[in-house]
Amino acid sequence: MPDTILVVVEQREGKLNRVSWETLTAGQAIAAETGWTLEAAVVGGSVATLASEVATKKVAKVHAVESPRLEPYTPDAFVAALKQFLSSKKAKLVLMPHTYQVRDFVPKLATAMDRTVISDCIGYKKEGDKLVFTRQMFQGKLAADVSFACDVPWFVTFQSGAFRGDKVEAAAAVAPVETVKVEIAENVVRNKPHEVFKEAKQAVDLTQAEIIVSVGRGIKEQKNIELAKQLAEALGGELAASRPICDSGWLPMDRQIGSSGQTVAPKLYLALGISGAIQHIVGMKGARTIIAINKDAEAPIFEIADYAVVGNLFDIVPPLIEEVKKAKVGS
Amino acid sequence: MLVFRKPLSGIARPQMEADVVIIGGGPAGMACALRLSQLIDAHNADNPGSQLNKENIYVLEKSREIGQHCLSGALLDPRSMRELVPGFEKEAPIDAQVSKESVYFLTKNSKLKFPITPPSLRDHGNYVISLNRFVKWMGSKVEEAGITVFTGFAGSELLFDGDRVVGVQTDDKGVDKQNQPKPNFEPGYELKAKVVVLAEGPRGSLTKQLVAGINLDSDRNPQTYGVGIKELWEVPGGRIEPGEVIYTMGWPLTSKEYGGAWIYGGKDNVASLGFVTGLDYPDPRLDPQRVLQEFKLHPFVAGLLQGGKMIRYGAKSLPYGGWWAIPPVAGDGWMILGDSAGFLNSARLKGIHLAIKSGMLAAETAFEALQKSDFSAATLSQFQTRVENSWIKDELWKVRNFHQGFEHGLWAGMFHAGLQQITGGRGLRNRYPSEPGHKHLKKLSELPPDGGDEAPLLGPYKGDGKLTFDKLTDLYHSGTRHEEDQPSHLVIHDTNICEQRCIKEFGSPCQNFCPANVYEMVDDSSAPNGKRISLNPSNCVHCKTCDIADPYQIITWVPPEGGGGPNYDGM
Repeated sequence: MPDTILVVVEQREGKLNRVSWETLTAGQAIAAETGWTLEAAVVGGSVATLASEVATKKVAKVHAVESPRLEPYTPDAFVAALKQFLSSKKAKLVLMPHTYQVRDFVPKLATAMDRTVISDCIGYKKEGDKLVFTRQMFQGKLAADVSFACDVPWFVTFQSGAFRGDKVEAAAAVAPVETVKVEIAENVVRNKPHEVFKEAKQAVDLTQAEIIVSVGRGIKEQKNIELAKQLAEALGGELAASRPICDSGWLPMDRQIGSSGQTVAPKLYLALGISGAIQHIVGMKGARTIIAINKDAEAPIFEIADYAVVGNLFDIVPPLIEEVKKAKVGS
Repeated sequence: MLVFRKPLSGIARPQMEADVVIIGGGPAGMACALRLSQLIDAHNADNPGSQLNKENIYVLEKSREIGQHCLSGALLDPRSMRELVPGFEKEAPIDAQVSKESVYFLTKNSKLKFPITPPSLRDHGNYVISLNRFVKWMGSKVEEAGITVFTGFAGSELLFDGDRVVGVQTDDKGVDKQNQPKPNFEPGYELKAKVVVLAEGPRGSLTKQLVAGINLDSDRNPQTYGVGIKELWEVPGGRIEPGEVIYTMGWPLTSKEYGGAWIYGGKDNVASLGFVTGLDYPDPRLDPQRVLQEFKLHPFVAGLLQGGKMIRYGAKSLPYGGWWAIPPVAGDGWMILGDSAGFLNSARLKGIHLAIKSGMLAAETAFEALQKSDFSAATLSQFQTRVENSWIKDELWKVRNFHQGFEHGLWAGMFHAGLQQITGGRGLRNRYPSEPGHKHLKKLSELPPDGGDEAPLLGPYKGDGKLTFDKLTDLYHSGTRHEEDQPSHLVIHDTNICEQRCIKEFGSPCQNFCPANVYEMVDDSSAPNGKRISLNPSNCVHCKTCDIADPYQIITWVPPEGGGGPNYDGM
């Protein structure tokens, strides 16, 4: 009987990850070269539909590895399921896409089975009887050829984009789908997943702000940031800062304006206690109107300011907030 | 809270075997790689039966692209390049051949031309180059020869087996400000090498580990350094000819500081100018970046630059100590090249040709070791012998006491230099002693509060934004960039010293000697003297001045995450 290549495709919340097709293409290519049998597996709570989708591709068989404990995804349940499945399904080579989810569980799976993983491969070669996998080192400067010295199953993950997903071969006849029920004891799953975190909370997009109140070192202390915040709120603008403020952790990095932060061009830029080093200027010189408040009449910010206020911001800003509020009420 | 960079511990690191690892892709490292490749190619052509492999020879370079951290005047004495690549002039980027040279002694408002150019400063036959472009070209030759250059990778630790160097660990990537791994964390590699070649430039961080680790400098003079602050200017046509070379001594320095300026005419009306200040000045308030600004105010210089535009800025230290300060350059598994060793002729202000030559000699030694498959101190110490039998020693021996002669001021220096000139470098004795530059720093209590004659050199400078610049504006023109979210690669071993002692005794000279505004004392009512030290590591231009000049020797410069640093395009 020929050896088996098993491609574990990735599904999440009932959807196949498109990278799975790339891994399937890789599996088909290796199968063609080695003469080994190619099978696929879909792992999840109820994956029959997905399995039949995979079965339209050129594979010998698709396994729907199911257990209610596989939904939602947890590394513990996936490792338990695949370990159980692989103890009966004797595969020689197990291929997976190098996704976040696979990265999460595959080291644990390999360790649990006392095997190793060649991860994040970009290709393979058949050298005589030996299968060699290529992975990048030194940030892609060097490609290392790696082969297995351990017993099977051999785990390999492929980098996204290493193979063409659109080149996956369709089947002449739909492959059989076999449902494999795995038993996962309750105490095996120690992870308790929270709500799926869709996307990092939208970072503040200063580039869209029409009014920006920006603070520099002249603000002196962290507690004084509040003052600038009040002004920004009164004006209906965003709060930003020069680098020393963000460096000190007084405001988050995504509010930094300048060469190592964001470049903005609001209608109004109010610079409070910012001296105007060139590193800051390059990030805001496109503002339509620049108002600068600074104690130092020689501060370079005044060279590009449309309105220059030489004075102590702590004397100027509080009444300014009051005036803005009054004007807003009046209008 | 400051957190300093150190390699993460207790993690598995990928390992790789190598034959030769060259750390630093400057002129020395690239010359070494290129020569080694030539020798192997010649050997393989002659010996079809015993082939040597070039595949496991690597160059590590911390800058993102080859040459980006290379900064020099620069004038190239072509001697070693002609040995390495005969006829290199036809293909290498050269701005101009030196056509005209003059040396001036400046006073505040006037200049005195030396009637004859001192022999050491005669530069006919040398070339004005951009070291950045030149090294880029050398790097392309190395890569064409089939040797891999890992750009964006720094050597962060040497790997030892007892006293034997067995490799190098590269920098950890993706570590945050608190020294914790980020999602993109990639551990540094353990590159196991048969030969580790240290070509890190002046004050190399691994070289420092090695020299201190096995006491290599015990019977040597301490290395002494200067810091060169450079600006590249576009000037109106006709001001300076391509190939014109001007050196100045004197103003704005007083007789108590060592140093001088250069102005070189390149092509397309670009002038390279810079000021080297010896890092053995007495007043801790002195600011080398300011010295360059003052220099530009001299009518002679201002006239040259007027109407021009500053286009780039940079700073780099250079080793002045000469022959007696060079540590043993080879041992068990290692060799040290170029500025890391101190191969620089301080009388001629030139080191590139020596760096290249030292790289070639190291390559010959490594080649021999590869052939014999013997990488012990016995084989590698042939590098030491090769240096001593080469023109490197001939050249450096004649100026072995040059810089030491100036340690007690300009006038004594002129006397000794003259005497050494007629005694083949000997002067009053065969070996002049020396002491580390930072020991010359005086405490504030011993200095005039108003600065005396040095007043125009002290403290930060505002600049007019046209001819002269404040430090941050200059820094902007260095193109420096680092990953911001990483621990400080300026490692201060005891910040209590900064805040309790240094601030009172020396007035925190780090703020002054650093040409990139990395160090700041900021107001903090909870600090003992009202100020705490704050660092801007992402401003760092990798000049190493802090590591050298700090009076308590508590700063260690280690490489930041690879790829960060200045961008010295065209410098």
